[in-house]
Amino acid sequence: MEKGFIENGFIINLSTSRNTNQLIYELSNILEHPDVKGKRVCLKLGSIDLKQSQLLSIKALIEATDAEIAFIETTSEQTEVSATSLGISISQVDNGIDVPVQDEKEELETDIIPATDHIGDEEEDDDNLESQRTKEDVADINSEETEYKIIFAEEIKEINPINTLDGIEDTYTESSQEEISQIIPAENADADFETFAINEGLIKKEEAGKYILLDTGDVLPTDIAENTKDTKDLPTLYLNQTLRSGQTVTYEGNILIIGDAHPGSEIIAEGDITVWGILGGIAHSGCKGNSSAKVRALKLNAIQLRIAGLYARRNDTLNVPYVQKSNNFTPEEAQIENGKIVIYKKLRRD
Amino acid sequence: MTGRVIVITSGKGGVGKTTTSANIGTALAKEGYKVVLIDTDLGLRNLDLLLGLENRIVYTIVDVIEDRCKLKQALVKDKKNPNLSLLAAAQTRDKTAVNADQLKDICEELKKKNDFVLIDCPAGIEQGFQNAVSGASEAIVVTTPEMSAIRDADRIIGLLEAKEEIENYRLLLNRVRPNLIKSNEMMSVDDVVEILSCPLIGIIPEDTGIITSTNKGEPIVNDETALAGQAYRNVAKRVLGEEVPFLDLDEPKGFVAKIKDIFAKLKVKV
Repeated sequence: MEKGFIENGFIINLSTSRNTNQLIYELSNILEHPDVKGKRVCLKLGSIDLKQSQLLSIKALIEATDAEIAFIETTSEQTEVSATSLGISISQVDNGIDVPVQDEKEELETDIIPATDHIGDEEEDDDNLESQRTKEDVADINSEETEYKIIFAEEIKEINPINTLDGIEDTYTESSQEEISQIIPAENADADFETFAINEGLIKKEEAGKYILLDTGDVLPTDIAENTKDTKDLPTLYLNQTLRSGQTVTYEGNILIIGDAHPGSEIIAEGDITVWGILGGIAHSGCKGNSSAKVRALKLNAIQLRIAGLYARRNDTLNVPYVQKSNNFTPEEAQIENGKIVIYKKLRRD
Repeated sequence: MTGRVIVITSGKGGVGKTTTSANIGTALAKEGYKVVLIDTDLGLRNLDLLLGLENRIVYTIVDVIEDRCKLKQALVKDKKNPNLSLLAAAQTRDKTAVNADQLKDICEELKKKNDFVLIDCPAGIEQGFQNAVSGASEAIVVTTPEMSAIRDADRIIGLLEAKEEIENYRLLLNRVRPNLIKSNEMMSVDDVVEILSCPLIGIIPEDTGIITSTNKGEPIVNDETALAGQAYRNVAKRVLGEEVPFLDLDEPKGFVAKIKDIFAKLKVKV
């Protein structure tokens, strides 16, 4: 990283970023550098539009590294408004920048801090989503004070891949958990979530579109009795790995996988199955006849979904063997309703 | 009814056994015969993908052998052609889950109700191969015009000759590139037949359409315009005993090639 000075500080050029995701990603990479600690930072934001909440996140990110924002440079009106309301001083690019420079030679180097290349870093995204979401949520509380916004953060797609920085988690995790528990009592959190979401049109029931029901009662032998035990009481197997073709996970309880389940893999659980990633293989929840078991994934692309004695197969028209990784996945959940497997999906409002 | 059991094998991997199985099977089914395809490549199954049937598989050959379901339940019907069905391999098990006798029994049972049972053999000459060959009475040896594939095919033919059950075996030469043969960079069909001294059942030209058809899950014989599809249809006819002349693989020159030729001539003149 090239290094220069503005009154004990840096200029970070982010004006090449095309979207907020990329911007925050690049910024977080630059902030990892030990030299940034305790310095004042000038942000060149270019023409990118930042909402107040987003700018607040950026500010928090910088402050987490013990640095502080000296001023920002932007050509966007939206960003300008956001900055003013947060009390961040602005220097507009068009008006010429007033940057005190110690040494002329160094100024040339100062101007551009090269954005690092992040191809191949996608693997880490999943791990960091959670902490990042928490951060976004809190940002929303502060800015809009609408209670439900916490759960339905308006633009989930804004969740950014960020290398977790020390301090950020400490600052936000606790408070956000408090906030959420205030709004929804833990016992009936699910029910409230659903009613609210359906009323708000956030959830759409997909019945015929994505999966079609092929057959019933074919997966299990008929002598196994169907039940609807609460899966909450079952033990949970936690796996932090990618499940590859030919690998099978079987467990007498719930299974939680942090990572993708590739096509050709099998997950068989007596309780629920949750995949924090793309589910591409076969998933069988409630394999001992528990029809209240569910299958959840960030992206349900399973070749076959089995719940208790039912199974649904992927529609032939959706023959996409590989799903492109993305930060914009909307979590999906499959369950049995009226003798059919249906998939719930939260709709994004954009 | 007693059907014919044909094993499709090669020794070397990646020469096109599975593609050949899917295409000959589909072509025979299109002719109106009842066909069952058996994938014996346990743990590395692909035949279901080529036929686009992956999402329909509930039971596999291992479930049949371990008595978790009936043979009839495990047969997956093709999307388009009801004459064609697939007995899939288990993806989560390995070759030791099946033995030769069990596979032979399955073949015997399938023979009774079908005209053709095609067995897609795994690469190698270990147990997987021995299993696949056990129930068969005929064999198609797939090879490409490369020395390594030919060497492996030779080894396989030797093993097949040693088996009493195999009544006849024929050679299918895959991925032939006529323009390379012309420029003496690839062994010619005659060379390969001479080296292996084995009767030929078909020559399949290299065709980029195979890649798309594999990805789509649609055998190339369904594509009436593809040259490889035509070649596979001819192979199916030869399997049925018809005499079909081998395809003329000299591709007609494309538009670009013609233009290039004209320019080449002009340059010479200038």
